[in-house]
Amino acid sequence: MTSHSRTHEDEFRAGRELSLDHRKLGVWLFLASEVMFFGGLIGTFLHYKATIPSPESAELDTILVGINTFVLITSSLMVVLGLDAIQRGNRRGLVTFLGLTTLLGAVFLGGQVYEFVSLYRHGITLTSSVFGSSFFTLTGFHGLHVLIGVVWAALTLGKVLRGSYSVQDHVGVEAFGLYWHFVDIVWIVLFTIIYLI
Amino acid sequence: MTSSSSPSTHGASRARQYLLVFAALAVITAIEIAMTQASIAASLANAVFLAFSLAKATLVAAFFMHLRDDSRIYTAIFLLPVVLVLAFSTLMLMSAGGH
Repeated sequence: MTSHSRTHEDEFRAGRELSLDHRKLGVWLFLASEVMFFGGLIGTFLHYKATIPSPESAELDTILVGINTFVLITSSLMVVLGLDAIQRGNRRGLVTFLGLTTLLGAVFLGGQVYEFVSLYRHGITLTSSVFGSSFFTLTGFHGLHVLIGVVWAALTLGKVLRGSYSVQDHVGVEAFGLYWHFVDIVWIVLFTIIYLI
Repeated sequence: MTSSSSPSTHGASRARQYLLVFAALAVITAIEIAMTQASIAASLANAVFLAFSLAKATLVAAFFMHLRDDSRIYTAIFLLPVVLVLAFSTLMLMSAGGH
């Protein structure tokens, strides 16, 4: 055995002793970096909101976005119900709930596209004002994360249909779920600081 | 393949718990939307909105992301950057308020 492979063995043993799955640990470390990423964008948005008047914010449709928020929260419920299903060996349940997650994610994106088009028609664009720039940058990056999540959900669904995941091994579903719930949490914060406050 | 370290593996269904958390999230969101249509003092409304946002994020992280009963190391990894971002945002807003 080489010293290189021995080092890897030691690393995996250390992870097991802490009762950590290295794949879940990797997702959590990635999410920590995402907190810093969105933290920078949110901090910038709040700074501009506090220092530069933004009358354009009166054009935001809180009811529409509130419904979209409800859609995203519901999609998070579908993910945990899917995880709960596969943990009890119910593969059909996982397929159903992952399918609904993908659908609800697509509905959220559709709502966001509708909102963006409406704002553009009111003259609020990426370059029209500081509010427009910070709003579209922040919500646009979140939308990109939702899009990645929808693709990830569809890929996970494809793996389930090809026979992957079981009662014993479903970390792949759990890893996707962690990412999806994080995107949900980011939206909960964005909904508050952009649309409510 | 290794098995998941999720605390609920092989345990009883958590569907009821998930549904209760979802109901709480939905009710809070409905109250928030209703509050935007009512005439409430901005300072009071903003404080309530921030408290609701914190409550919703905590519910999702604790129950849907299983931080409530998973390894505390995951909680520490997630909360450390949150604390740093909150400190950064607070200092920046204090700076903006001073000018």
